[in-house]
Amino acid sequence: MEQTKNKEIALLNMVQALLAGGSLVVAVWAVATDGFKSGTDTLFLVMVCLLLALVFSIGPMMWATQQGLIANPLAADQSEAHGGNRENAVIWIALLVLTGIEVLLAYVHLNITLMLIILMGLSIIKAVLIVAYFMHMKFEKMSFILTIVPILVVLLCLFVVFFPDGMRVKNLRSTQVPSLEEQQAAEK
Amino acid sequence: MTAEAKAETLAAEWEGGVLPYKIGHRKLGMWLFIMSDSLTFCALLIGYSYARSSSENWPTPFPFNPSIIFSSMMTLVLLSSSLTMVFAVAAAKRGEKKIARTWILATMFFGSMFIVLHVTEWFHLFHEGVYFDAIPEAWLAPDKWPGSSKLFGATFFGITGLHMFHVLTGVIYLGVIAARIKKFNAEDVETSGLYWHFVDLVWMFVFPLLYLLSVDFSAAGH
Repeated sequence: MEQTKNKEIALLNMVQALLAGGSLVVAVWAVATDGFKSGTDTLFLVMVCLLLALVFSIGPMMWATQQGLIANPLAADQSEAHGGNRENAVIWIALLVLTGIEVLLAYVHLNITLMLIILMGLSIIKAVLIVAYFMHMKFEKMSFILTIVPILVVLLCLFVVFFPDGMRVKNLRSTQVPSLEEQQAAEK
Repeated sequence: MTAEAKAETLAAEWEGGVLPYKIGHRKLGMWLFIMSDSLTFCALLIGYSYARSSSENWPTPFPFNPSIIFSSMMTLVLLSSSLTMVFAVAAAKRGEKKIARTWILATMFFGSMFIVLHVTEWFHLFHEGVYFDAIPEAWLAPDKWPGSSKLFGATFFGITGLHMFHVLTGVIYLGVIAARIKKFNAEDVETSGLYWHFVDLVWMFVFPLLYLLSVDFSAAGH
């Protein structure tokens, strides 16, 4: 009886894994055949497929971890000696290198949006390194990580939400107000 | 762990007397404070970004010397202070309080260096005519940044001022910990470390957004 139940559970998890894989295939197919020519439609399809893949893979991943088929990648590494001086020094060097890249980048003439994306991306990487290693987050319990980290992610998303808004406001200004060139011409 | 053993542990934890997340309450409190303070800085940075991206023109007045050199030095100093703080926390965890205190003093030294450099940088700007509520007339010249908003001063001094205030408070906080280290345990040192790393973390975002995006490429330079 127990064995049949286990077999059923295994089969159920395989089916879920197949569905997850299938969703991924659909996402890849959508991008491969269309390549975002339809704009947001393709994006929507890809996002839905990725979400489905994520949701369907949770069950099988948990089951596989329980069965010992895969090592638990989310387990806090309490047994291993961590936070050693050498490890922290390496993280520090990495932070310095990333800062150096950012400073060099400031002197390369890039389109402002691209520049902003790269700078923010590098800053996020630096922030993750500091939070994970210096602030010891990587070695805390998963429940704590899940309590704190999503808030930080939301803050970053707020940035992304407000930037386009700011840029859009430029175009919404009243045309009755003289433009910059007209104002300067009037002053001369 | 078997299902029954797990259930027993869970029941025992719910009985009370167990620390949530297995973290001391002071450390947890500091994390919650860090969350709320990040929201504050995020709000200021978003305000700055919004003002800048919706403006017709915005000053980008920082020449390599002295502004970018100074601010890069400040970043280096702050990162080093984070490293010394990590060493201090590690020493405190090992029970070596005197060594922990030495590392905390090193952190305070770097923090003070940051404040000195930053205040010097501020005085450069005051000297040029940049204040909280004004920018120099020279910046509105046609070959510079005509039509710029005065908000440059407000956003720059507001954000860096709040950050510097946090650094100053942090140095004082660390001073208290260092002075009375015999009365504090490893968790207290770690909590002060968390605050210090948070200050460094904020600078990681302030530096590119305020300084690196405002490098002076205009032909005249300074």
